[in-house]
Amino acid sequence: MGAGHLTRLEGEMNTCIRCAYCFEKCPVFNERGWDSDGARGKVILSYGLLTGQLKPSKYVADKMFRCTCCRDCIERCPSNVNVIDIVSSARADLVASGFAGETHKQVVENIKKTGNIYGDAEVVSPLKEGETPLFLGCQYLSRPNKTKKYIAILEKLGIHPEVQKEVCCGFPMEILGFKAEFESHKEKFSQFFPHKGAIALCPTCTVFLKEGYGLDAKHVLQVISEKIPEAKLGLKVTYHDPCDFSRGLKIIDEPRKILKKLGVEIVEMKDSKVQSACCGGGGGILMSDPSLSDRIAKNRIRQAIETGADTLITSCPTCEQVLKKAATDVGGSEGKNIAVRNIEDIIWMGVK
Amino acid sequence: MKSDIGMLKAIVGESDVSDELADLYVYSSDASVHQALPSVVVRPKTIEEVQQVMRYANGNRVPVIARGAGSGMSGHAVPIDGGIVLDMKRMNRILEIKPEDILCKVEVGVVNDELNRVLKPYGFFFPPTPSSGNICTIGGMIGTNASGNRAVKYGATRDSVLGLKVVLANGDLVKLGSNTRTDASGYQLARLMVGSEGTLGIVVEATLLLSPLPKYRAMGIANFDKLEDAGRAISDIISTGITPSMLELMDSVAITAVNRALNLGLPDVAAIVIFECDGMVKESVGHDIANIRKTCERHNGSGITVSDDPKEMARIYEGRKKLFPSLSRYGEGLVSTPLADDMAVPMSKIADCVQEIHKVAKRNNVIMSAYGHCGSGLIHTKIMMDPTKESQWEDAKRAVTEIYEYVYKIGGTTSGEHGIALSKAPSWKVEKKDSLEMMRAIKRALDPHNILNPHKLMDAPDDWTKATALRYNVRRG
Ligand SMILES: Cc1cc2nc3c(=O)[nH]c(=O)nc-3n(C[C@H](O)[C@H](O)[C@H](O)COP(=O)(O)OP(=O)(O)OC[C@H]3O[C@@H](n4cnc5c(N)ncnc54)[C@H](O)[C@@H]3O)c2cc1C
Ligand code: SF4
Ligand code: SF4
Repeated sequence: MGAGHLTRLEGEMNTCIRCAYCFEKCPVFNERGWDSDGARGKVILSYGLLTGQLKPSKYVADKMFRCTCCRDCIERCPSNVNVIDIVSSARADLVASGFAGETHKQVVENIKKTGNIYGDAEVVSPLKEGETPLFLGCQYLSRPNKTKKYIAILEKLGIHPEVQKEVCCGFPMEILGFKAEFESHKEKFSQFFPHKGAIALCPTCTVFLKEGYGLDAKHVLQVISEKIPEAKLGLKVTYHDPCDFSRGLKIIDEPRKILKKLGVEIVEMKDSKVQSACCGGGGGILMSDPSLSDRIAKNRIRQAIETGADTLITSCPTCEQVLKKAATDVGGSEGKNIAVRNIEDIIWMGVK
Repeated sequence: MKSDIGMLKAIVGESDVSDELADLYVYSSDASVHQALPSVVVRPKTIEEVQQVMRYANGNRVPVIARGAGSGMSGHAVPIDGGIVLDMKRMNRILEIKPEDILCKVEVGVVNDELNRVLKPYGFFFPPTPSSGNICTIGGMIGTNASGNRAVKYGATRDSVLGLKVVLANGDLVKLGSNTRTDASGYQLARLMVGSEGTLGIVVEATLLLSPLPKYRAMGIANFDKLEDAGRAISDIISTGITPSMLELMDSVAITAVNRALNLGLPDVAAIVIFECDGMVKESVGHDIANIRKTCERHNGSGITVSDDPKEMARIYEGRKKLFPSLSRYGEGLVSTPLADDMAVPMSKIADCVQEIHKVAKRNNVIMSAYGHCGSGLIHTKIMMDPTKESQWEDAKRAVTEIYEYVYKIGGTTSGEHGIALSKAPSWKVEKKDSLEMMRAIKRALDPHNILNPHKLMDAPDDWTKATALRYNVRRG
């Protein structure tokens, strides 16, 4: 048996009536097709771990780590079962039993050593005095040009962000099942980031600052949407709602409002807004099962191509990264092309 | 069995067979309270593969349990004797849509709502509308003769199945039924397969009768301070000759549950009746809705609202579809169990039956909700209980027995929708005592070695709480 992280969730797992409603759009189930790959399967496997009917094993761990944490199951579940809480707790028990993946261990070590997921001490914040605390997160720390662009946009709109030296929010530790490591990282994070509220650049960090630390965090697009001026960019795009955005933060209208104000026409994909299909980049599968991640991303790109738009816009750096690769792959193998861009590029075009 | 895994892999391919305990564990349960491990899970893609698996299983006397989404609520797909679980979801092609013949041909792994999505541009739909339509397969619907809230107008799955291709226990492939709307002669074998819960053959293809999509639809809700008034209104509506496309009852427990879980904002009353009419002519829909409204008013229905706004109708419809799962949030520590959950009673007895259900629940320390497609005389109940307490299972067992005794006394039947399998079998065998031997003879004729979903229906154990392990971690006390 693991370290007992699942114990407090017995009632939650009993609440699952095993209706399978969460099959419908689970990206992992749709790709792999075994009942044990879907959200219901993960709840059942977790129950087995809790009761001891299943022993922790590599096979169970592989199943449990094949989850993009896209929250689609939670959104669909009529019993409001918090599948991600269950999955991350099952992962924690599996990790405690010695079934952590090597790539995941490495990420956690990196955070411990350098404060960022890359293990690169050279990745540092572009320090800046200002009025409003801005949290960049590892993804933006490692993409200084994008970060500068967001900072410039905020300045143009009269918001003066303050950037300090920061460490990872610790979400990877929590979601990959390294709960003990996260508990000690939490203190470190709070020393580096002692604020009660912040603007954050990454959707996942924004959710986690709220849920993991109880901070009054806003995503940068929420702030921008209130101040965006009109422009006439004349583009026609499709917009991919990142899971942490449309389901985690329930931010659906803001990016659309921004694009509309900038004179960008949006053609919606079949699965959009709260029902947005996952990009395949979350939950750690990009590291542990890149080929599954690729397949999920390609499915999304195919949906985007079906709209007839020539550009897909998203507002999450991870989505951007995996969808860009998928777009290149689909372009190469199926001869259908679509460009993938992050929304900050478009906003910058409109406000610069 | 172990040594034969290689044989099964040779038939369907290495990656579509698993005897890993983790997979077996997941396939050991469905949406019921039961749990039993299979020996192996096999996922065929073609009819030939199904035939080969059946030849192997028949020769080696290995049980085979067909499984779709595993959303059955009475242990239908739970492999009580182990054996092969045949996951049919990979056989999911829509083979033909023939608008001119008002039919389509599908493989059985096709999901109900996906079929309807594809049919929509043709102006047709496959009318049985189970709440689980977003995930349940055509094979599972055939297995259980599924129906739903629109059954009052459009009937159950059996009414829309014209023909079937079935792999028999010995691996032979047979065509049953026809491609035509009428087929009068001989034994109705396709119809026999529908509702046979995987005990007579593995259905691999189905020819389905479609219905034209109605152009107009309107929905209303009426509130009732007394349950019996709601019950009388329902039976009156049906007896006036109107055929609503939906006529649903929700009692106060159900109302509280959906409001809590889904924020539907339904009024806090003893019962509500949800009604819907559809058709090709707007005036005719309006006329029927007005008549239903008047009937509800006559029976003290109040606060009646009617809408033809698709968004508002979808909000209510979705809420209704999620009622059963949302009951799991009714109270701390209580979960919703599908026991004695879909009896059908004569129209005039709906109100009495709902009241009796609450009395039985009280007597037996459980909470029960009552709701359902009452326009078809169908009442859904769920028992809300603490599944970790052994004593609650004894309470539930008594409640189930008492409810069915009452249902039979008033001329009702065990299951109007979800089927029998394990949980309902003990009472059902009492109700159907005159048919049991005939059913066993049919089963013996088609499946002499008893390998197809054995020990279900007429052959199920007499104590459902002990038929298999319960899927909950039950403690003494
Ligand atoms: C939340 C919820 C709501 C529901 N609402 C409704 C409702 O409104 N109406 C309703 O009727 N039911 C309802 N159900 C019950 C269930 O969804 C239906 O019975 C459904 O049709 C089962 O389909 P499935 O694919 O899940 O089949 P499974 O549960 O996998 O199988 C059901 C039975 O069919 C047999 N079977 C499956 N495939 C085949 C095949 N190819 N050949 C032969 N036998 C086969 C199985 O052996 C089993 O006996 C609901 C269930 C849930 C959990
Ligand atoms: S997690 Fe929710 S949607 Fe999924 S099977 Fe359980 S109750 Fe149903
Ligand atoms: S979070 Fe997404 S990938 Fe994970 S189980 Fe739920 S639907 Fe599937």
